[in-house]
Amino acid sequence: MASMQLTDEELFSELKRFGFTPGPVTENTRPVYLKKLKKLREEQQQRGSRSGKTRSSGAINSTTGGGNTAGSRPASHDVTHLSSNRRPGRKSSVLGFSSDESDAETPLKRKGLNHSGRADRSPGFPQQPKIRPVTTPTAASKSQYGAGSALNSSSSSLGPDGQRGVSLGWGVRARSSPEAEGRDYDESGDEDDYEGGTEKNSRSLNGCGASHLITSKLAGDYSDSDEEEVGGLGAGDRQRDRLEPRRSPKAAFPSLGVGRGSQTGGAAREVNPPGSLNMVGSRREDGEEEKVKRRDSDSSGGLRSHNFPRKSIYVSLAENHGREAGKNNHVDSEDGSSRSSSSNRFSIGLRPRFSNYSSLSQPYRGNHSNHTAPNHSYSQAALKQKLSVPEDELLQQFKREEVASSGSFSAHYLSMFLLTAACLFFLLLGLMYLRMMGSGSSEPSVVCKNHPLGSKFDDYYKGKPERELILDLLSKLHDHLAHIAGQHDCGDQKYPNRSLSMEKASAYLVAQNQTFEDFIFICLEWVIRADKDVGIRLIGQVADEPVTDPSEILWLESTHPMMPFTCRFRRAFLIVISRVFLITVVVGCVGSVFCYVKYRWRREEEETRQMYDMVERIIDVLRSHSEACQENQDLQPYLPIPHVRDSLVQPQDRKKMKKVWDRAVSFLSANESRIRTETQRIGGADFLVWRWIQPSLSCDKTSLMPSKVWQGKAFPLDRRNSPPNSLTPCLKIRNMFDPVMEVGENWDLAIHEAILEKCSDNDGIVHIAVDKNSREGCVYVKCLSAEHSGKAFKALHGSWFDGKLVTVKYLRLDRYHQRFPQAQGCSTPLKASSLHLNTTSTMDTMPYLQRHGSANSSGFS
Amino acid sequence: MSSTSQKHKEFVAEPMGEKPVMALAGIGEVLGKRLAEKGFDKAYVVLGQFLVLKKDEELFRDWLKDTCGANAKQQGDCYGCLKEWCDAFL
Repeated sequence: MASMQLTDEELFSELKRFGFTPGPVTENTRPVYLKKLKKLREEQQQRGSRSGKTRSSGAINSTTGGGNTAGSRPASHDVTHLSSNRRPGRKSSVLGFSSDESDAETPLKRKGLNHSGRADRSPGFPQQPKIRPVTTPTAASKSQYGAGSALNSSSSSLGPDGQRGVSLGWGVRARSSPEAEGRDYDESGDEDDYEGGTEKNSRSLNGCGASHLITSKLAGDYSDSDEEEVGGLGAGDRQRDRLEPRRSPKAAFPSLGVGRGSQTGGAAREVNPPGSLNMVGSRREDGEEEKVKRRDSDSSGGLRSHNFPRKSIYVSLAENHGREAGKNNHVDSEDGSSRSSSSNRFSIGLRPRFSNYSSLSQPYRGNHSNHTAPNHSYSQAALKQKLSVPEDELLQQFKREEVASSGSFSAHYLSMFLLTAACLFFLLLGLMYLRMMGSGSSEPSVVCKNHPLGSKFDDYYKGKPERELILDLLSKLHDHLAHIAGQHDCGDQKYPNRSLSMEKASAYLVAQNQTFEDFIFICLEWVIRADKDVGIRLIGQVADEPVTDPSEILWLESTHPMMPFTCRFRRAFLIVISRVFLITVVVGCVGSVFCYVKYRWRREEEETRQMYDMVERIIDVLRSHSEACQENQDLQPYLPIPHVRDSLVQPQDRKKMKKVWDRAVSFLSANESRIRTETQRIGGADFLVWRWIQPSLSCDKTSLMPSKVWQGKAFPLDRRNSPPNSLTPCLKIRNMFDPVMEVGENWDLAIHEAILEKCSDNDGIVHIAVDKNSREGCVYVKCLSAEHSGKAFKALHGSWFDGKLVTVKYLRLDRYHQRFPQAQGCSTPLKASSLHLNTTSTMDTMPYLQRHGSANSSGFS
Repeated sequence: MSSTSQKHKEFVAEPMGEKPVMALAGIGEVLGKRLAEKGFDKAYVVLGQFLVLKKDEELFRDWLKDTCGANAKQQGDCYGCLKEWCDAFL
């Protein structure tokens, strides 16, 4: 992503755009915030794509429900809430219908509200017709309505403030109405609305009329059929609502203010013939105008209103209400407008019905124009449009899905069908083949035409009638023999012998045809002389010897056994099965051998790795022990091997690791030169011990430890943590040393060196002073000019030195000169005395540094 | 998690002072070494990072995973430990 090139500020602002206030973006937090930004962008894309769908389906929502969810969102949700809620909400799509993640979000928040809303719905509705006339007086007592009195509140909420807008008797609405309590404005609007008495006009229309319609609609299930009960109006409404949302997204009207909205609303109403689109259209406009004012809330409201399934269009509209109410920062107008917009939406949907129902709209026009509430209702209408669009889309989606599912269903069957057809085809093929094989051609004429006795036979017997006889005989003999052989092969007990004796053959042939008797021998002679395979084998006294004379023949056997079909099939099947079995066995053997080999190899690798690991640990233990021995002369410089093992290997693993341990021991004795294996007597018992024989590396170690070296930057320097331009040529560097810890006479020189080396590219440092007594470890530096000091600042500030974080400040020049008068005269740039960089990441070999190193090695863990 | 480990309890019982990073719950030897390599050698440095991320759970967990490869349980333990410490002492 391009986020890679984002600077910290850009990252910060990008994250803010999503409503997420990040902490400071530093080196450490940058990757985390980049990931977060990516996530937020993906979420936004998802949400954007889904909101398109939900918007269309929202149309359906708005047609019927409007304002259902009014009170559902009393809490104010700012964008932060939105984004923060999205995260958990995204994963839980509570309601089956809505695919919008914002929809999924809202159920989390509105769960309680929804439940109450729904719960209120049913009790609310039967009361609706009764309560409606009572709404006016109840307007004042709206606050009293709790969840139970959803209806009352909803009806009263029809008031101009629009919070009531769609009074669907939802408990949610009840909540919204308490919100509106505080506004006299709203209350007056309500009461005004109810003066008219009928629900037709915008707000009251929205409220009462809507509630009326809703009641009737909700009499049945909250489904399309309800709307059908009301007549084609429902469909008309839905269409209208669909139109509305389409227009609303395009809305970019300047918010003309409440008055205008009301006027247009009123005008719309006047022009409104029953069930005409004009009112709807004008409403739409008004709604859009209003909507522009609170576009954000609307959009989010619209999105969130998609929570509910088609049936709860009412709820969604009410949600819209509530959401808008919640979202808006401005108490009165915004909330009222949002609610009124949703109610307006509802009213738009219901208006045609209302007009059908009554013609009392006229008296209300005047009332409505007075109220600013109409504007709210219009805005609500706009919101409702938005709702209806997503609802529409949602429904369409479902229809499409059903079709698709049926299509896939048939596709599934189709594939199955094809598969079975193919199987059947092959089966038939096999059967046919077998049958062909099994059944020899039994037509004598065919035999006569294509007989295997050779051309000589033809020549000899050309024209003679014996020819047919002989051939016939031959074929009969052949068939008989084949039959016998087949039966025998199939295991038929009738024919224990595959071959037929001569006598039996003759007897059979004679039985077939008396005339055959004479020709048997002739035929057999010809068979002997045949150059092609006749299918009959003639066996004489001695097997395997070709028979030359018919008189020698003792046995006749067929070489083409003819087996019944089932037998053939069975044999074929068995052969196939056995072959397949054999192959699988072979493959299995090979596979298992292979797997075993791999397994062994892997085991081997694992053990080797463990062995090396163990070796390393042993070496570490021995080395540390030897060092400890150096410091503490009481310890023996060797360690018994079993003791090492027991200290390294847990008791429960000892048995398992025995092999590894043994290998490690042998490896050490063979390959490790620093460890010597010897026998020692410890406590009276002879032990095999290891002795670490490398001379102590303590000085190396301490020199390896970072001492007085620069260790990198803790944070990148940017505008936020460093002054934009260098202010003075003097710097005060803090935390470069700890005076208590410093040992030696010339450690301050080391500090000098360190600073000079760090700023080796900057040859403008003229004076360095180490304040040996400062607890903070201060070093004062003067440079040639502010520019040089700026460079030095950048190089030094925020770096780690010797385990301490160095900070730099600018000092006033005069103060500096006060403190270090000798610096006034300095003007020659200092240079690091040793040219090879001592303090930057190399081992120090200077003796004084070693001392410091050992003293300071503890500084850096 | 309802149950906290001994490490957690010990850590949260008192100001962390100069405790090493391995004193944090969820951070053992291996993770501690990795963190120390990156410069987070003391528990308070990790605390610093935690605070810089505004004590946000998800961000801190992501950071922990990226920095030292902690698994989910370890992340959770560390986050919980620091959070409780902050609640108690900050």
